[in-house]
Order: sequence, then C-alpha cells, then structure tokens
Amino acid sequence: MLAAACWSEVLRAQNSQSNQFVWFHPADAAEIKAIAAQIIPDDNTPGAGTAGVIWFIDRSLDGYDQDKQELYRRGLAETQAKRAELFPASTSIAGLSTDQQIALLKAIEKTDFFQQVRLHTILGFFGQPAGLKFVGVEHQMHYEPPFGYYDAEAARGGSK
Amino acid sequence: MSMAQFHPTDEVDFIVVGIGAAGGVMAKELATAGFRVVALEQGPWRHEKDFKHDEVAVMFRAGLTNDPKKQLNTFRKTPADAAQQQQAVEYGCMVGGGSVHFTTNYWRFHPEDFHERSMLGPVPGADLRDWPITYDDLEPYYTKAEWDLGISGLGGSNPFDGPRSKPYPLPPMPVKSSGVLFERGAKKLGLHPFPAPLAIISQQYRGRAACVHCGYCEAFGCEVGAKSSTLAALIPAAVKTGRCEIRPKSYVRKIEAGKDGRVTGAIYFDTDGREVFQRAKAVVVCANGAETPRLLLMSKSNAFPQGLGNSNGNVGKYLMFDGGGFAFGLFEHPLNEYKSVVVTRVLHDYYRSDPKRGFYGGGGIDGRFDYYPAGFALAGMPLDGPQWGSEWKREIGQYYTHMSGSLAHASCLAVEQNSISLDDKVKDAWGLPAMRVTFKNHPDDLKAADFLMERQKEILLAAGAKKVWADQSTLGEMTYSRHLMGSCRMGDDPKTSVVNKWNRVHDIPNLFLVDGSSLVTSARQQPTATIQALAYRLADYIRRGASL
Repeated sequence: MLAAACWSEVLRAQNSQSNQFVWFHPADAAEIKAIAAQIIPDDNTPGAGTAGVIWFIDRSLDGYDQDKQELYRRGLAETQAKRAELFPASTSIAGLSTDQQIALLKAIEKTDFFQQVRLHTILGFFGQPAGLKFVGVEHQMHYEPPFGYYDAEAARGGSK
Repeated sequence: MSMAQFHPTDEVDFIVVGIGAAGGVMAKELATAGFRVVALEQGPWRHEKDFKHDEVAVMFRAGLTNDPKKQLNTFRKTPADAAQQQQAVEYGCMVGGGSVHFTTNYWRFHPEDFHERSMLGPVPGADLRDWPITYDDLEPYYTKAEWDLGISGLGGSNPFDGPRSKPYPLPPMPVKSSGVLFERGAKKLGLHPFPAPLAIISQQYRGRAACVHCGYCEAFGCEVGAKSSTLAALIPAAVKTGRCEIRPKSYVRKIEAGKDGRVTGAIYFDTDGREVFQRAKAVVVCANGAETPRLLLMSKSNAFPQGLGNSNGNVGKYLMFDGGGFAFGLFEHPLNEYKSVVVTRVLHDYYRSDPKRGFYGGGGIDGRFDYYPAGFALAGMPLDGPQWGSEWKREIGQYYTHMSGSLAHASCLAVEQNSISLDDKVKDAWGLPAMRVTFKNHPDDLKAADFLMERQKEILLAAGAKKVWADQSTLGEMTYSRHLMGSCRMGDDPKTSVVNKWNRVHDIPNLFLVDGSSLVTSARQQPTATIQALAYRLADYIRRGASL
C-alpha cells in the first residue's frame, strides 16, 4: 500500500476548497512555495507546485519536523534580507522574476535553510505518487521477471 | 495455543533483551527446548499489514528504526573531542529488529576471517585479533540458520567461500538487469560473480509465501512475509510453544545483579512508563552492537560498580562500522531496478587482504541500485552538475530507471578508542544517559573503500555504462552506521575480551551476550548470517546442558 497518514492529510489539504495552513502564516507559505517551485519547477512536467509540496512542508513543520521551525523562521528572514540586498525594489520572493529567484537561491544554496527546504521539497515531491510517476515507476505490489531490458535480453540468450 | 504470560515475580528461565536477528533465534530455540522465556523488546510488535511503501516515513522519519529525537546519541571522533548531539547509529526497532528491515544479503564469513591476525600479523593503530572459534565451529550453525530461516542461493557458486555441509534450501532469486550487467562486466575482467545468497524465499517455504518482487526490501518490512526475518520465520514458532512471552515496547534500563555476582533479572519501563522488574534464572542480551554495551554500562551495582562484564574496562570498546562506497552507473536501456530484490549478483574476488596492496582489508562487491526516488534525488546526481532546478529535475527523470550501480562492503578495523559509552550530560526521553559514540576510521578502512570504489567503477564501465560516478556521501570518514559490531568482543582472555567463546560474559555465569557486539573482526560486513549462527550455537550449547 502506498501512502501513510501524512500523505492522506497532505492530499486532503491540497484538494480542499477551504484548505488552511496549520503552521505557516499564509504570506510566508507563498514565499516558501516560490522557493520550492524553483527547486522542482513545474515546467513541461509537474513539479513542486502542482504536487502540493507546500502542504507537505506545512504538515511536517507541525509534526515530525517541529524542531525545524526555528530554522524556517530565521532562514526565511535572512533570505528576505538577501533579497532586499540583491533586488532593492522588490517586496517579496514570490514577486521576483524567475531569473531573480534563481539568482537569489544561488546566493543562499549553501545555507542550512536552503538545504532544509530542498530536503522537504524532495520528500514532498519524490516521496509521493506524482514523484514516483515522474521517475518512471509504475507502482504495483507485484512484478514478474523480466524486470528490465538487460535481464529480458539475457533470458532470450542475447548479448553476454 | 495463545502466548504464554508470566508474572514479573515468576522466576522464568531466560530473559532475552532485544528480539531481533539474534534474540529471535534465542527465543525460538530456548522455548522449543523447553525453557520459559520472556523477551523484552523496546520497539513495537508490527505485522505484515503494518508495513507500507512509504519512503518518507521509513527512510526519513525513523518509521522502523530507533528514533533519534527520543533515543538521543552524541558523537565525537576521538576522546579528545567534545561530543555533539547527532544520530550516529541506526538499527531496526521492533519485534524482529534489524532482520525485519535489512536488505537481506546473507553471506557467511570466510574461514580466514577467524584467524587473520595469525595470517597477517599485527596492524599498527588497530587491534586485529583472531577469534577464539573457527569457521568449522560455526559451519553447522550457518547451515542451521540457512534452513531454519529460508535462504535463497546457489551453494558452491562462490569460489572463495568456505566448505558447506548442505546446499541452500532455496534456489537463487531471478537475476535482475543490475545482476546481468554486473556479471557481464565482472567476467570481462576475469572475476567470479555469483548469485547473491539472500534471506528472501524464492519459492514457498514452510508455510510462507514466495517473494512477489514488489521492490521494497531495503529498510522496509516485507508485506507478504517473504523476507526471512525472525519476525516471519521464527517468532511464530517461539510463541506457539506456549513457553515464550514477548513484551513489546519494554525499554530495559538495567540488568540487576545480586551480591553473589549473578544476574537476577531485568528492570524495564513498560508501555505506560511504569518500572517493572522481571525475575529470571539467566539473561541473554541481544540488543545490538550499540545498545548491548550501553545497557551493560548502565547496569552498575555494588557487585559491579563499573557495569556488568566491565571489570577490565572492555565493554563498549573496539566498535566497528560498515564501510564501503556506492558507485552509480548510467546505462542506455531501462533496468527498472525499483522492481524485485536489491542484489542478485555479488563478487568476493577482492575480499581477502593482500599485503601487496599496502593496506589491511578488502571487501565484497554487490551489483545493485538501491535508491528509492527521494533518496536518489537527494544524493544521487553527480556533484559536478546542478542539485536543484529544471535541468537537474529533467536528468533525474531520465536517469532513474536507467541506473545500475554497485555497493562495496569494506573491512573496518577494530580500534580501541572507537567505542560506545554513556554521555555525561545528554539524557534520552526516559531520563537515561544518552549513548555516546566515539568513532574515527583507521586509515586502512578508507584505503580499502577507495580501492574498492575504483574496482566498482571498472566493473560498471566494463558492463557498458555510459557514465559512472561515486556517491561521495558514502566515502570518507564515517560518522554513522547501521552495522554495529565488536563492542563486547569474544575472546579467551578475560583481560582483553567481554564474552568467552560461548558468548558467556567472563565473570558472570548466567549472563550471555549474542549480537553484533561479540564480533572480533568485521570481516567484510554483512554480519547477519554470522550473528545468527552465533545465536544458534549458543542456544545449542545451553540446550545441551551448559551449567548456568
């Protein structure tokens, strides 16, 4: 069976009309969402935005990762300071252009805060059905050989 | 028959602390032999229906392992450093222990592993020592373990293995693309790959259903009971005797000892946090290579002011970790390594120590790609490329099903200062001293891992990989391990070891330890078969009438 309690809650939150953050202030959520959307962009395939990664992060910070709340608070404040330094006319991360967002994240990519948001974004995307599908996993409880090209080839007596 | 229930004031024959790979063997063998057993397990009792394909919960949130947020560790490289709070050990935390979540490589150690010191001489900066037993002493018990648990493999296919008295009970698992390519590359280089012996049943066995190739073996619990954990293969038989009571969520804080120098039972916190003292005639500690020494050190009494088995200060010393790096190989066609078991081909050509290489050690090498999607995204892509953004994302999507790879299981030398001890400041969630881990690799450990990494890359390239690279996070000095060995060494001399050759604590006749802590050397990792063989041997010794 795929998915545990955390995922059903995340899916419910992202699909609900009246979805609400339990930990984030909505304005901060929009900023983190913009960062996650550069880590795993919604380009020609689904990314962090359509997969609802922000809901995963919100529920994680209210649950297993409560000890990361301070890192998010401090890290976001520091990232806002960096944004104001790089782009004085801007008022939010979400309001930056894509190129500006990438430039900002490159400036902070070595920080613990960025590494934590990257980890959460990866878990929130690749840990759920959308991510499995993206990497080509057809999730089933049962497979039969051959599993891939080379064992199929060997079973046919092919290339050695 | 329903499970036995004993009262704490009943003096049962044995308490088994930790019912994992070794404890499961002890509980089943002792109860079957007629002894009354209480097994105290700190983790919960999960069943097949409780296991799920959830990478985040299992791999990133301690779903089946010790919880670093409650069971705090501290870590330092050397005794001169200040220990910092960080997770340094990971182990299966449930009825069945590590045998539930392990990848299931089930090698025997080689005959020469038991007397490398005599063969090679001393290694400066380490304490390489012979075991007090030989491969021949253990061989009947390796065989017993393989047949009792259900191991799939092809006896005689590894030319470097010791002699076997019986074949494996089950044929090997079907070869995967990673195994086909590994065999292709290895044979081109003149090496000797063989079908991996695995603790997974390839066919129905003793009432258990065969593997369905779902792909969630490593770190996960098997949802169909095809993994030959003690949970699936032995514990039902232990319970069925009516003489074994398993108490999950029981956190042992002390083995109690009397004035006469014998142990009398164990004190633990039950599910509700209440302290319980269970009496017993004898105690077997199978709590793993990290928790066993911690428990002995916490068990201070008037008779044993330094803790149990520690009269000569050896408890916790000579801790060994699981070395060896991971090499990635990208191939032209899809392998779909997310299906079926992790490893289907292995080689031991570089296992033996060769003085010509200029360092002690070597290793076994697996053909495998055991990264679940989030783990691959986190650490799998080459470090000279981007680690986030559109291009990185596109490459992950293209690579994942086309990946193979190779993991080395490298030697780790015993060094006296590498140890488990009690932290003098940090406490766990029960108010007990946190485990303090001191570990710094011997330089030869790193040379062996680097040497093997070059061989791993050669094999992948010979197999036709378009691109190979190392997971850099798996190389270099280790600060974290899942295989915990050597911290209560076995030996004939009480001055330099903790247990004798029968796994009995030297100065306490009714206290036994059997798990990774007894191992004198790390051999080339994958210690579960040897740990379980030691447990079968100890149980047989007790059954045949060892005085307690």
